[in-house]
Amino acid sequence: MAESLSIEVIYALPGKQECVRLKLPEGSTLQQALEASGLLEKYPDIDLKKNKFGVFAKLSKLDTVLRNRDRVEIYRPLIADPKEVRKQRAAEGKVMKKGAGEEGEAA
Amino acid sequence: MELLIAIAVMALGAVVLGAALGYASIKFKVEGDPIVEKVDAILPQTQCGQCGFPGCKPYAEAIVKGEAEINQCPPGGDEGVRKLADLLGKEYKPLSAEHGEEKPKAVAVIREETCIGCTLCIQACPVDAIVGAAKQMHTVVESLCTGCELCLKPCPVECIDMVPVPETLDTWKWKYPVIEIKPAEGRKAA
Repeated sequence: MAESLSIEVIYALPGKQECVRLKLPEGSTLQQALEASGLLEKYPDIDLKKNKFGVFAKLSKLDTVLRNRDRVEIYRPLIADPKEVRKQRAAEGKVMKKGAGEEGEAA
Repeated sequence: MELLIAIAVMALGAVVLGAALGYASIKFKVEGDPIVEKVDAILPQTQCGQCGFPGCKPYAEAIVKGEAEINQCPPGGDEGVRKLADLLGKEYKPLSAEHGEEKPKAVAVIREETCIGCTLCIQACPVDAIVGAAKQMHTVVESLCTGCELCLKPCPVECIDMVPVPETLDTWKWKYPVIEIKPAEGRKAA
């Protein structure tokens, strides 16, 4: 446990992005990083059960073991329903661009 | 006797100066080629690729090798070209139109009510400035966004806008003084 990890925990809101830099012991998990960041106290909206978390745009579980220089990200749910947005765009006659197809199937 | 003193003085001088030169050559040794770093430091680090190279560093290398002109960087603007011209001792050229035009610095902002969480903008971002994952809200981190506009195109629902950054005390920079050089009046240019 001598070595330490440099971890960033980030919670991005539209007007303000909170970024906390941490030093954690080797073998720390995503949950430990969240707890150490103090963001859970600062933003009571963040719910460990409801919100999703990840590392560099990849959804990860709370017990994920972190690697050095990881960026732990706290996500917020979507406001729009992807299906509705697609329907609206179709109704307005706008074309979905490339790459939209596979997401459409997933949604 | 005098002859010996003269020889000794000259020999001493040679030893002292030699030692000084030898010390200086070790102390002030230049590692590698620092010019690429200097060019890279002038470039705006937007990593936008408008110059035709994959990022600022490759463009800096190409400039130093003579494979690229110094006027291919629109985000660096006129000021950037002047600084590069100064550093490299090259002639100043106006920004080349085919690589785009200079715009005020802006950051990307995602319209949350339209974002569908597709991650395409995250994959396009060269500086990891977008936080989000599949079917989660995506948000641009303002302090990391370089304003490169690379995320605009991939978005399938066109929910990203570029918002210009207002000039504040923190972001204000000296403008390059522009003094036109004209031939004096009443005299014809030679």
